[in-house]
Amino acid sequence: MDPSVLFAIVTLVVLAILWSVTFNLIARERAAADRAAAALTVDVANTYEAQVVRALREIDQTLKLVRYDLRRQSPEESLQDLADRGLLPPALLFTVVVADDNGDTLAANQDITAEERISPDTRRRALQSASMVVGKPQQHPDGDETLYFARRFERENNRHGLVMLMVDASYFVSGYDPSALGEQGVLGIVGTDGVFRARRSGDTVSVGEQIDYDSWVMDDLEGEAEVQLNRWDNTRRYTIAREMYQYPLAIVVGLSEREQMAGAVEARRVYLWRSAGASVLLIAILGLLGWLSWRLQKERSRVLEERIEHARRVEYLAFHDSLTELPNRAFFSRLLTQEMLQARRYHRSFALLFLDLDRFKTINDSLGHEAGDDLLKEIAARLNRSVRDSDIVARLGGDEFVVLLPEIRVSSEVAPVAEKILSAAARPFTLVGQEFRVTVSIGVTLFPKDGDDEQTLMKNADVAMYHAKEQGKNNFQFYSDELNTNSLERLSLESSLRNALEHDQFRLYYQAKRDMATGQVTGMEALLRWEHPELGIIFPMQFIPLAEENGLIIPIGRWVFRTACQQNVAWQKEGFPALSMAINLSARQFIDEHLLDDITLALEETGMDPRLLEVEITESMVMHDMQQTIKILESLKQMGVRVAIDDFGTGYSSLSHLKQFPVDTIKIDGSFIHDLVRSTENQGLTKAIIAVGRSLGLRVVAEGVETVGQYDCLRGYACDEFQGFYGNEPLPAEQFAQMVRQQEK
Amino acid sequence: MLKRLTGVACGLLLSLLTSIAAAEVVVVVSADNALDSLSRAQLSDLYLGRSVSLPNGESLTPIDQSDRSPAHEQFYQEYLGRSPAQIKSHWSRLIFTGRGQPPRSVSDSQAVADVVSDDRTAIGYIDSNQVPVDNTLRVLDIE
Repeated sequence: MDPSVLFAIVTLVVLAILWSVTFNLIARERAAADRAAAALTVDVANTYEAQVVRALREIDQTLKLVRYDLRRQSPEESLQDLADRGLLPPALLFTVVVADDNGDTLAANQDITAEERISPDTRRRALQSASMVVGKPQQHPDGDETLYFARRFERENNRHGLVMLMVDASYFVSGYDPSALGEQGVLGIVGTDGVFRARRSGDTVSVGEQIDYDSWVMDDLEGEAEVQLNRWDNTRRYTIAREMYQYPLAIVVGLSEREQMAGAVEARRVYLWRSAGASVLLIAILGLLGWLSWRLQKERSRVLEERIEHARRVEYLAFHDSLTELPNRAFFSRLLTQEMLQARRYHRSFALLFLDLDRFKTINDSLGHEAGDDLLKEIAARLNRSVRDSDIVARLGGDEFVVLLPEIRVSSEVAPVAEKILSAAARPFTLVGQEFRVTVSIGVTLFPKDGDDEQTLMKNADVAMYHAKEQGKNNFQFYSDELNTNSLERLSLESSLRNALEHDQFRLYYQAKRDMATGQVTGMEALLRWEHPELGIIFPMQFIPLAEENGLIIPIGRWVFRTACQQNVAWQKEGFPALSMAINLSARQFIDEHLLDDITLALEETGMDPRLLEVEITESMVMHDMQQTIKILESLKQMGVRVAIDDFGTGYSSLSHLKQFPVDTIKIDGSFIHDLVRSTENQGLTKAIIAVGRSLGLRVVAEGVETVGQYDCLRGYACDEFQGFYGNEPLPAEQFAQMVRQQEK
Repeated sequence: MLKRLTGVACGLLLSLLTSIAAAEVVVVVSADNALDSLSRAQLSDLYLGRSVSLPNGESLTPIDQSDRSPAHEQFYQEYLGRSPAQIKSHWSRLIFTGRGQPPRSVSDSQAVADVVSDDRTAIGYIDSNQVPVDNTLRVLDIE
């Protein structure tokens, strides 16, 4: 159950118990107070009745005593005699009077005035009654209410007289005890005529109210006290009104309900307050506990969520490449296996595209890993945008990506997708503030035609991709079984390249550079060839990328420098003209920190004249880090070594950059020359390059000149020198030497 | 004028003196009684109906005067600090509840003097201006 619900229920249950106990206690308290008040009323009534009876009996006794004594002496003598003997009640309170039937005083123990005389009504009743008569209250001149008690007696001549006793009405209520009756209780006597003879509440004594005696007064001695509204003062009281047997009077005793219940009311108030306080405390405590448990639960669920999230993240990371967010090799392997199962089951086929970025290593090495990472991220995004959502793009590591195209029926369906990927990848990038172009090479395999297991399918796609690279990069190739053979060669190439230096399998070929005007050989470009024992001559484009990958380019580069320099020195000694020796630097070589040392060493070891040495770097190489490039170029300059920019026009550098570089020569890329005769655009560009070169004081060399037309054209533009088959193809050292000797003859 | 004023002043002073003289209420016992003083509390207890034990082990019977006698009011007011109405109310309650009877009451100071001089155990109060204290009575010091 939800803890908050549980706490709410517990709270309600405890509150219900608390309040039912409270109300029960209040009810009990009230009932106890009620019983106590009723019992007290009965007690007071019993006591009061006994007191009233005794008082009346004493009064009656006095009247009877005087009446008896009047038989033997006169009223005057009788009262004096009885007083002297102490047989009359104290004169302080009681006045004893003997009167005739007209009410005229015959004798009294104290003087009474005319106003104090018995009322005619009481007198008449007393004369007619054989028993004691209780008069109605009479007010005295001094304000006191008095009561007459009268008995008739026989006088001579058959006439009657009256023995009377006069007393303050308050006498009968003087037993009022505030400790029992309170301030609002009532004590009183009432005549059977319904007229109060005396009544007292607190310190107030009053007389004379008329009540409905018959309906109100009980003659039951055991009567219970009941709460009644006492109409004479509109007060609710536990009331007992009990008639006395011997006298025409009833006693009235009442205890104020409010006073008697004050304790219970106070107790009720206290109980209610305590319960309210306890309720508030309880609600506060349980509320706090509920809140804490709610917090705890929330915290738990938060921790749980975090763990789940963490687990998800771990799983995600386990199956995704953190850089590009693409599925990684492990995940792709799973997806591929799944796809193969599906395809097998439903007899479908699908395509696997294996992608590798061209020149990625160069970018990574020259621009740094961060730029390389940015490039990979952008490539990943472009790949995702180039395919459908149902296609799978994954990164296998490095610059290798795969794309899985499900439900491909024929290979022609792959081509549009591959084209789209090629064009998406080829759009320019902006890295570290510079614009670049990167291309990809794609190898395609189809399941199940080109392999029905993961390993074969992947390997063959890789083979197709290498084929695409061999085909000049920036294209896609489908796998075929023939390719696999070449691929095996490539594998052996990589291993045998490591041994090539030791086994002295590299050769340098030299291509002549001729003066445009005279056609004389002015220098040569050293070109590397690998004489593989089994594969024959292998060109640099086939193994230099490999050498750059595995770092062999550095020792190979040193070998090239030393060999070329030695050759040059040898020819100079032979008496050749001062022919320059141009050597190509690969990108990796150019950024190698030992480049300058290596060149210096080669020059020193061979004793070559530095002025005859020319290093060729490509335009893209100088653009990567211009500051560094300028530094290197200036160092070369100081050494006396000349610098040429190779493949000029293919990079994206502005011509204006050129003047910042301390170079000596620019070599117009063969692609411009190739279409020179037909393309006016190329003619314009070539002319412009030559003009800029000249204006900057550089020598301009045209590469790849193959026809007379091209030669004539360039000659017309006043190009300085040219290279190409039209001039001479690359030759081994001995043949090149013969060619020079012939020319010199 | 001055003479008349002096006359009025003398008259006022005289009437004051006589009124003081008229209020000379003293507590007396029989000359035979060895007692010569009572505390105010003891006197109060005696006249309110409470039992009082004296050092010599004897008892005293208080004698009252009628409430119509001027000395009555003076005595209760002066010695007990209570009004006649309070005294009446007090005895009314005691009599009604059956707890006691008031002291025996006689008409005036002379009657008190008569009773006290004859009774060794009696104690009373008299207006010494009306009734001279002779050798049958002894005035008690009320401390």
